[in-house]
Amino acid sequence: MNISAVLALVAIGAVLGCVLGIANKYLVVEEDNRVTEVIEMLPGANCGGCGYPGCSGFANALVEGETTKVSGCVVSNQETREKIVSYLNETPGPDGTTVKVTV
Amino acid sequence: MELVSLFIGLTFVNNVVLSKFYAVCPLLGVSKKPKNALNMGYAVTFVIFVASIVTWLLYNYVLVKLEITYLDLITFILVIASLVQFVEMFLKKTSPDIYKAMGVYLPLITTNCAVLGVALDNISAGYNLIEAAVAGLAVPIGFTIVIYVFATIRERLDIANVPESFKGTPIALITAGIMACAIAGIAGLV
Repeated sequence: MNISAVLALVAIGAVLGCVLGIANKYLVVEEDNRVTEVIEMLPGANCGGCGYPGCSGFANALVEGETTKVSGCVVSNQETREKIVSYLNETPGPDGTTVKVTV
Repeated sequence: MELVSLFIGLTFVNNVVLSKFYAVCPLLGVSKKPKNALNMGYAVTFVIFVASIVTWLLYNYVLVKLEITYLDLITFILVIASLVQFVEMFLKKTSPDIYKAMGVYLPLITTNCAVLGVALDNISAGYNLIEAAVAGLAVPIGFTIVIYVFATIRERLDIANVPESFKGTPIALITAGIMACAIAGIAGLV
């Protein structure tokens, strides 16, 4: 086996990885962590039944206030919906305001 | 002078889209609005320019020295994927609107055959570093011109009276074919 091939690829990969890692430090975007939390709570079927592109699209719409009805997610059950409603109504975003949503 | 003819040749005569038929995916995907088409062109220009220099250096100073030139494909893809990742982070930070408008086609630059095509062509054509850099600029400029012109044509096609069965992508493909015929008219110029 050609060991130099393996080492070369590892080295190239490591260098590129480091460059990207450094770039990520400087180019990091502050994301609203409520969106990730809501994505976690949604069923994650990615069915598109809510009319948004995937669960992340729906979570974004909820947090941005584009839609206020959690039941837009047709596959979620009552328990999940109530969990999301209480989470969003109680957790303030980066600007200190909460979004009002209903089941 | 030779560099000028190389530039003209790669931009127009051997246009990457219309005579080699690389990069047809973004041509059809991101050409609905001229503004998005231009942004796509800029992103591709950056990626191809940097990729052609980096891959040339890697090939000649690492792969050839270690006699592992058979690894060219995988190393080139590694470089290209990292560059695209960088462009994605940069756009997400500086202009989220462009990031949103380009959607899935931005990470798909990784699999844009034009990028890998230029990197491999630079090697097989035996270019030196300057020539590789010129090629890395000429090819994406040719791509940007074509995708922009194509987007403006498609804008007019939207309001044109196209037969029902040709609406959308079919008429766009026919348009691309006619544009390729026009480019074929200047074949052999350089």
